[in-house]
This record gives sequence, structure tokens and C-alpha cells, in this order.
Amino acid sequence: MNIALSAVSARRARISSQWLVIAAFLAPALVLLAVFMLYPLVSSVRLSFVDWNGLGNNAKFTGLTNWINLAHDAVFWQAFGNNVILAVTSVVIELPIALVLAVLLEKAGRGSRILKILYFLPLLMSSVAIGVLFKNVYDPNFGPLNVGLRAMGLDVLAQDWLGDRRFSLASTIAVICWQNVPFYMILFLAGLSSMSPELYEAAVLDGASEWTIFWRIKLPHLQGTVRTAVLLSVLGSLRYFDLIYVMTGGGPENSSELMATYMYRSVFSSFQLGYGSTIGTAMFIIVFAVAMVAMRMTRRYATEV
Amino acid sequence: MAHAVLSKARPVVGAVALVCSMLAAASAGAYAQDAKVITEWDQQTNATSSKVLRDGADRFEKADPGYKVEDSHVLNEAYKTKLKVAFGANQPPCVFESWGGGPLHEYVKAGQIVDLTPYLQKDPGYHDRFLNTSWNAVTYDNKVYGVAAENASAAVIFYNKDIFKQYNLTPPRTWDELMHVVQVLNSHGVSPFALSNKNKWTGSMYYMYLVDRIGGPEVFRKAVNRAPGGSFDDPAFVKAGEYIQQLVKANGFAPGYNGLDYDVGASRRLMYSGRAAMELMGGWEASTIENENPAFYSKLDFFPFPSVPGGKGDPRDVIGTVGDGFLSISSECKYPQEAFKLIQSLTDEKAMEGRVGDKKIPPVKNIAVSDPFLKRLQALIVDAPNVQLWYDQELPPKLGELHKDTSQALFGLSLTPQAAAEQMEAAAKAGS
Repeated sequence: MNIALSAVSARRARISSQWLVIAAFLAPALVLLAVFMLYPLVSSVRLSFVDWNGLGNNAKFTGLTNWINLAHDAVFWQAFGNNVILAVTSVVIELPIALVLAVLLEKAGRGSRILKILYFLPLLMSSVAIGVLFKNVYDPNFGPLNVGLRAMGLDVLAQDWLGDRRFSLASTIAVICWQNVPFYMILFLAGLSSMSPELYEAAVLDGASEWTIFWRIKLPHLQGTVRTAVLLSVLGSLRYFDLIYVMTGGGPENSSELMATYMYRSVFSSFQLGYGSTIGTAMFIIVFAVAMVAMRMTRRYATEV
Repeated sequence: MAHAVLSKARPVVGAVALVCSMLAAASAGAYAQDAKVITEWDQQTNATSSKVLRDGADRFEKADPGYKVEDSHVLNEAYKTKLKVAFGANQPPCVFESWGGGPLHEYVKAGQIVDLTPYLQKDPGYHDRFLNTSWNAVTYDNKVYGVAAENASAAVIFYNKDIFKQYNLTPPRTWDELMHVVQVLNSHGVSPFALSNKNKWTGSMYYMYLVDRIGGPEVFRKAVNRAPGGSFDDPAFVKAGEYIQQLVKANGFAPGYNGLDYDVGASRRLMYSGRAAMELMGGWEASTIENENPAFYSKLDFFPFPSVPGGKGDPRDVIGTVGDGFLSISSECKYPQEAFKLIQSLTDEKAMEGRVGDKKIPPVKNIAVSDPFLKRLQALIVDAPNVQLWYDQELPPKLGELHKDTSQALFGLSLTPQAAAEQMEAAAKAGS
């Protein structure tokens, strides 16, 4: 009896000390999250209700004015539309290319090591360097792209890639794809490497063609990876900033403006910290909503299959 | 068991103790030095320009032992962001350089800048050394918040002498003559103007000059100050937009102008290759070209912006800046007295001579410039009845951005001059 009692209290003590340990180990992460995620988030929501240039303490509370302005701001909606276009093209262009490269490289086996490294390079370069590089490639007068097109007699195709409102977004998206494809390629390669070789061998023995193996075995195996990739690329596209900022700055005439570049311009060029925070908060809400919907949808998909 | 825990804990305690003692040593070291630090930030990143400032700081340190100047030099766009963040976080530098005008006014309105008027009144000799026009960009409500330091500059039209000679062209003095030049150059397959308008302030120069030539300097001044009769949809602004679009439609600009980036030298490349013959740009372009392409520099010359038919503006007016970099003191600065002394030493005779050596025109009276190009530019600025500061610097930041956006759209032919003017006026009304 006595022994049993002491065992219970000992267990209780162990449980409470376990909680203590858990709390102690989680505390640093929680504090960091609170300081670097929660606090900025809450304060940017707070700032979205003020008119403030970000200096001193002359912030004016203006209620919903910023939000009403945002709802009527054609530039913001254009930027949002551009973000959506970027998200769709990322999924439709980047992922299939990455998948094809991954499957081919995996098939080529060891001989493809150099190619793997080569294809991986764009991901290792800084966005600013890539941006400056492609600014020169696209230069309408001296850039290799137009010079090459003209040399082939295709003068009609030699366009003003970054300065023409019709092409600026497409031109930058092409570079963004070029930069991001390797990332998804690596993701798919990792997914493929987890497939057991027996499956493949069995299929070959049964006389399945490469085509069938891809569609019936490899692709279903990559299902989870593809879902992750789609989610990552959509969310990444909605928050995108760097290459656009470097290459076009959102211009000309907002034709390649994204929500993030517009936010940056509002805060740092126009000194509208309040309105910039409104854009930032709206961006957060949009990204959050999309993420929630996407997770929900993929979960349903996951249980069905 | 307890013992084991203790012995495990010991190294940790030891490490903490070590860190503590290091911190103690570090702080003791700082106290031992006893130098009061004055931070100084500026946007002068090239070696000669930043050395002029560092030398000035050295002279100050020598005259005022016990103070140490910590200077840092950051390039334009990054510099603007850095300043904004530092002031927003209430940790601004003590002494800093800015472009004056609207953005500096934002800091002044927030009470973050020291009013220099009393300091200047105490030392009229120092005050009177500067060009009178230099104070305009840093004076708000009759109080002075900065001292012009770096350079007096104006936008002029640079041109390739060889190309002009080849096609028998002379520098145009009127708009009609300019349109003739444009037509002749185009007929020989040479683009008239090189323009990198991704940056927007580059194209804005045409707009500012046209407004001045059409309506004179008062039009803009009244519109900014919301004075009676002042408005951004004044016919002069609309007309300026029309002239720009006339030039665009006459193929006045080398292809791709709205996407070319000035910061990577896209417009200069057009000049160097002879594909474009002219470029409207600030006077600094000459020294940039001399550094970048000495061979081309010998073909380079400039002429002032032409007049327009029936225009009210004086063709001797220039658009530019008398100071370029203006030194101010932040209110957070613990030693404003010494900070002002530092400013004086950063703008003393020696510093200004250093700037002459750096191909600049210091914003002070009676300074001899030997370079023939700079001499002509200096004369242009000193003789100008009016020097209009760049709009994007003079306007409140929000309006400045809108001005740049609308002028880029004017160049892109996607906005009518009337609509551009109305957008500006609507924003100016909403802001006041």
C-alpha cells in the first residue's frame, strides 16, 4: 500500500517534471515565434488602421480608411492579379519541367551527376545577381536575346522585353521559373529515390513500358510530393518579391507590380507606413486563406485516394 | 545522482562566468577609452567622395579630442531605406546626409531633426559662404534644417559631337530646332535621345524642364504650396505632357526606354555605341562617363534645355540641386553642439577643395573650378534666375512617387496629359 502510494506520487512527480521539461524546451522556440512572428503580425494589423509616415509619434488613427482605399485601389488589384498569374504559371510551367527533368535524371543514373549539378546552379545564385544578368540579356538594344533574334532574321520577335507593358510580367516570370525549377526538381528527385526499386523491376518484368511505369507507378508514388510542390509554389508566388523588384521594380506603369513590391514602394518610397501595413495585412489574409483552402482540399484528396 | 547533475552543470556555469567576465572586460574597455562617438552617415560611396568626408571628420577629431566620428557610406536606394528604418526605430545617426526637400521634411515634421537656424545665426560668416539658392531645399517654415555639402548640379542635354558634326547639326536652342534634330537623326538611323526610364526620375527631367519653359517656375511653386491659383492641372502641366508625347511619337527615344535601368548604365551604353546621340541628365553624368569611357568623353559636349514657342519661362532657368547632399543633425544626437562643428569641418575650405578635385561644384560662393566642363556648368547654375529642385525630391514623398508614376505613363503613351495632371491634382488636394 505504502509502496503503491509512493509509486503513484512518484509518477505524478515525473509527469509534472515532464511537463516542466517540455515547457523548458519549447520556451525558446515559443519566445522566438512570439517575438518574430506574432508581434510583427499583430502590430502590422494595428498599423493598418493608422495614417503614419513611420517616423516619430504623429500616427493618426483613421479607422477603416486605409482598408476602404485599398478596396478601391486599382494598382493593388492589378498587383493581386499579377500574383495570381504568377502562381498559376509557376504551377503550370515550373512543376512539369521539374518533373520531367527529375524523371530523366533519375533514369540516367550516375552518368547524370554533372547535369544534376548544372541544373541545380540557378538555385544557388542570388536573385539580385540573376536579376541584373537577365536585365542585360533582355536589353532591347544590346541584349543577347534580341541580337540573336535579329541575327536569325526574326526582327519581328525582337521585342522590348522589360519596357513594354505587354511583356514585362511574362519576361520576369520566365526568369522566375528558370530560377525555381531546380528546387522542385530536387524535391521530385528525392521523392523518386524513396521508391523501392523492386516495384520498378517487377513492372519491367511484367512488360510495362516506360510510359506506363511513369503514369501508373512513378507519378502516383510522387503524389504527396506534387501536392507539397504545388502548395509551396502557390504560396511562394503570392508572396514573391525579389526578381521583380530587381528587374522591373514593378513597372513600367505597374504592369509587373506584385503585392509585395507595391507594399515596399508604399512604405519606403511614399512614406506611407500605415497604408503599406494595410497592403501587408491584406497579403497575409490572402495567403493565409489560400493556404487553408489548399490544405483542406489536399487533405480530402489524401483520404480519398 | 545529484552530484552527477552538479558536475554536468559545472561547465555551463563556467561558460556563463566566462561570458560575464568577457562582457565586463568589454564594457570596461569602452569606458577606459572614454571617446564620445558621433555617428555620421552619407551616400558618398566612391573612394574620393567618401575620403573628403573622412578627412573632414579627422580634422574635427583633431580639433575636438575626446570625440570620435564613426562614418558609414551607403549607396542611394539602400541608403534611403537604411535612413528610414533607423529613424523609424528611433536610432538615427547623429549627423547624416540627405537630398533635402520633401523626404527630409517628413523627418522634420516628426520632430526628428535639429533646427540649425540658431547655430547659423551665431556664425553668419559661415552661413553667407553658401550660395543663396542652396538653402531652399532645407528650409521649412523659415527654419533651416540642413547645410548643403556636396555638389551643385543641373540637368543638361549631353550630346555626341561627332554625330552632330557628321549630320551638320548644331545644338538646338528652341523646341522646333530640337524637333528638326530629332528628325534628321532618325532619318540616319540614329536614335535622338538615350533614356533609361525604369528609374522614372530620369524621364521626369523632361517633364520638369518643359513645365518650367512653358509656365515658368511659379506654376510648380504655387501648385506645391497650394497657393491661390496654384494647381497641378494648370495648363502648363498638361502642355508639358503633350510635348513629351509629341517627342515620343516622333521616335525621340531609343527603343525600350521605359524598361532600361540607369543604374546598370543602359542609357550610357546607347551613347557609347553611337546608337543614340543625346541624353538629358544631371551634370554628374560627365564625370561618370569620364571614368567609364575616357575615349568617349572627348566626343562629349552639352547644351541647355531648349525654349518652347510662346513659353513664359526663362530659358536660363535650370532644373537641378544646389547641394545634392545636405548635412543635418538628428534630435536623438547627444552632442548637437559638436555635431554642428563636425558639419562645419565637413564643409570647410579644405573639404570643398577636395570636392572640386572630385569633379564636383561645391555649393559655395567664389570657388574656383578649373575643369572647363565644370566651369561652364557652374556658370549655368550661378547665372540661372531660378534653380528648381528635382520634383521627386521637393514634393512630399507620396506625391513625388505619383509624379514619377504618371510621368512614366506619359512616356508609355498610356495616360493622357490631361489625366496625368488631374491625378496629380487630386492627390495633392487629398494630401493637404
